[in-house]
Amino acid sequence: MVKSVIKRDGRIVEFDKKKIIDAVTKAMDVTDEGEDIVLAAEIAAAIAKISKESMSVEDIQDHVEMELMNSPRKEVAKKYIAYRNQRNLARKAKSREIFKEIIEAQATDITRENANMNADTPAGMMMKFASESTKSFVDECLLSEDVKEAVQGAYIHIHDKDYYPTKSLTCVQHPLDRILKNGFFAGHGESRPAKRIETASILGCISMETVQNEMHGGQAIPAFDFYMAPFVRKAFKEEIDKISEITGEDYSALKDVQLDDYIKRDLLGIQGNDRVIQHAVNMTVSRVHQSMEAFVHNMNSIHSRGGNQVVFSSINYGTDTSAEGRCVIREILNTTYEGVGNGSTAIFPIQIWKKKRGVSYLPEDRNYDLYRFACKVSARRFFPNFINLDAPFNHHEQWNAEDPKRYEYECATMGCRTRVFENRFGPKTSIGRGNLSFTTINIVRLAIECMNEPDRNDRIQKFFHRLDWALDITAKQLCERFNFQKTALKKQFPLLMGALWNGSENLEENDTIESVINQGTLGIGFIGLAEALIALIGKHHGESDEAQELGLRIVTYMRDKANEYSEKFKHNFSVIATPAEGLSGRFTRFDRKKFGILPGITDKEYYTNSNHVPVYYKCTPKHKAEIEAPYHDLTRGGHIFYVEIDGDATHNPEAIMAIVDLMDRYNIGYGSVNHNRNRCMDCGYENADENLEECPHCHGRNIDKLQRITGYLVGTTGRWNNAKLAELHDRVVHK
Amino acid sequence: MEKTFDAKNLNGTHVIRVLDILEETMADGPGLRTSIYCAGCLHHCPGCHNPQSWDMNGGHEMSIDEIMDIIISDEFSNVSFSGGDPFYQVEAFTELARRIKEETDKTIWCWTGFTYEEIIADKRLAAMLPYLDVLVDGPFIMEKKDPELLFRGSSNQRIIYLNGKQEVPIEGTVPLKPVK
Repeated sequence: MVKSVIKRDGRIVEFDKKKIIDAVTKAMDVTDEGEDIVLAAEIAAAIAKISKESMSVEDIQDHVEMELMNSPRKEVAKKYIAYRNQRNLARKAKSREIFKEIIEAQATDITRENANMNADTPAGMMMKFASESTKSFVDECLLSEDVKEAVQGAYIHIHDKDYYPTKSLTCVQHPLDRILKNGFFAGHGESRPAKRIETASILGCISMETVQNEMHGGQAIPAFDFYMAPFVRKAFKEEIDKISEITGEDYSALKDVQLDDYIKRDLLGIQGNDRVIQHAVNMTVSRVHQSMEAFVHNMNSIHSRGGNQVVFSSINYGTDTSAEGRCVIREILNTTYEGVGNGSTAIFPIQIWKKKRGVSYLPEDRNYDLYRFACKVSARRFFPNFINLDAPFNHHEQWNAEDPKRYEYECATMGCRTRVFENRFGPKTSIGRGNLSFTTINIVRLAIECMNEPDRNDRIQKFFHRLDWALDITAKQLCERFNFQKTALKKQFPLLMGALWNGSENLEENDTIESVINQGTLGIGFIGLAEALIALIGKHHGESDEAQELGLRIVTYMRDKANEYSEKFKHNFSVIATPAEGLSGRFTRFDRKKFGILPGITDKEYYTNSNHVPVYYKCTPKHKAEIEAPYHDLTRGGHIFYVEIDGDATHNPEAIMAIVDLMDRYNIGYGSVNHNRNRCMDCGYENADENLEECPHCHGRNIDKLQRITGYLVGTTGRWNNAKLAELHDRVVHK
Repeated sequence: MEKTFDAKNLNGTHVIRVLDILEETMADGPGLRTSIYCAGCLHHCPGCHNPQSWDMNGGHEMSIDEIMDIIISDEFSNVSFSGGDPFYQVEAFTELARRIKEETDKTIWCWTGFTYEEIIADKRLAAMLPYLDVLVDGPFIMEKKDPELLFRGSSNQRIIYLNGKQEVPIEGTVPLKPVK
């Protein structure tokens, strides 16, 4: 008696006669004589009787063919065999087409999926080949039926599906202090505890680059200034020692002198101990500056991530008020302002200013001067972005201004916007944790499917009903992936589970990560709230109070369901305002194919990012803030507020400060200011004109246009996928 | 000196001929600003980037009250007067500037084609100066055009701090003693 079936991927499932009956009747349907259920049932029964406990899919199909050949319906056998061959060929052909596209370096969406990846290089191409292979494997072998249908129906999108079989997690905030203090073992190389600022900054790079190969998402450092600060003092002490050695005098008492700030000054006129101190300070500042330069340069150029990509790196800083911390902040800002190479804008790491009243924002705050500087840098270089630690949902009860380790209670974000802070299964912190996976719901399609209801209330009712279904399926899928991820062994993620992830220090090499990964979050994402609202009531939330009310109702509903799932399934579920990149065109394409061109909905190439006001809608930054702010509280998995400004803010840092004031007033969690940055590749001239074709300085026509896409900067918009380009053209400046 | 244009509505409070009001713009001075573009200018500088603003009867009338409402509701912005040339409606703009200073903490930047010297020599025009923070003065001269200049078009134009407070160092600006 056959009890179980071995699927192509090795999974064992229960033997089900119905599947054989279905396949046989399908083949019968395309013959002249048509269906014969009785015969189909007999064949299924015959196979069930085979004296093997389990059979492979191929074996079963072989037997079906034999039974059909021995039956009065031989022509069905022919159809069955033909169909079987077709499926095998299709499986291969699909890959062949895709591979051909990759080889011919066509500017299709496959090669343009991620804006910062260079898919034309061999490493990039290998990545794409691998990616396309795993995606179809996952579809066919790893997803349960109803999930697969929802994916194929363009209702949900599983992010980083290509990494699914590897059991990888998404992202993590690096507790760099642990590594710098204890050293680490990175698989092939070991590192002792760091002693110098130069080493510390490079270890920051190595940590992120190494773990990037163990995860499918971004890497971030949550308190860059705090982590680097001890090494500034160490450098100062080394410099004092050098002076002692050169002069033969003993200046070691000066090593612990109190300093308000590390500021370079000319030694002219300074005598005695003060001169020694100032010289040591000058040398220290130079060394810190060089270390920061090396850090930025490294993160901006080393392609350590699979597929010839630079690491998706982010650093958070701004709240260390010590002289050493301020030195780090000042020099990272200086480096950023100066730019890499010949003064180009560094695309990575994404930098985030931690704005906090009493520390780094108000005119009376210790770090106010650095905050002003940060705004100036932001006006020129797009970064830093700003995380608002004063938003109520970013508060932490245990934060204390005197606590030297208070950064553990400061929310930190990934540059793309992913936020991990609350925790049902451990301490509330951003550090040493991250997201496990996230899946996005196409709420636009759900709304479109309700458009045929004439009565508005019925339409909205139906929408919530459909949303329920989509949320349930998403939660199920996230749990399924979690259950797969938890079987990974610690040794598969050597550095992540060796030195970074909270609780991993208690794991043995061959333990699974099951006991610790519940610290991470599962993200339920959504795209196109604006288009969904247009589908439901004809207007989007930027232009109508009613739409805004409904929009908030929808996202509140999602948040409440996420909380329910957390209780029910015992995971950290949260709602994320999905950063949509490769996704922003895909859903639109599918929906347009099925439903045609619907004005305001599928008549453009993209759907609006999460709960943002559509980029084509003209409104002031204040109005946009009023509309989008309430969603930040509901999307604890991550959110962002963008403003497009008119013109060159380089000499107008006050404009950036005014935007941060806006964020402060409306309790926006995370925000940044977008503008154009054109750079003449010939002479280095930069400005913010909208459509610069010719350099006003040297009249060259070799212009690199830098813009922000989903939080990451990309130059030369030629590398953007079609949907994102279309969205860029629609972007209206907010005045 | 050319005749200035001064309109009163029947109630005696002043109205301004306005082309447009931009809220939260960052192109007209530091930070975000509410920019009031008035209609009417008789300088007719060759190469002006906004000749549509010359028509003295252009735009539409707005009362000072209406304009104040917009300025006050644009919370995060300070104010800029431009156009056209606000000094061709000097009484009305003086009234507006006075109210802004009385009712808010906002700073006012004002662009004009007159030179500072011409303004202080004329009692009517000089009346607005006490209420302004910064004056950007002078006609646009094409031969002196320089795209690198901040907030002005040609190098003869100056950014003049009228109340002696220079909040933000800007290259090429001229701090003067406070106007009495």
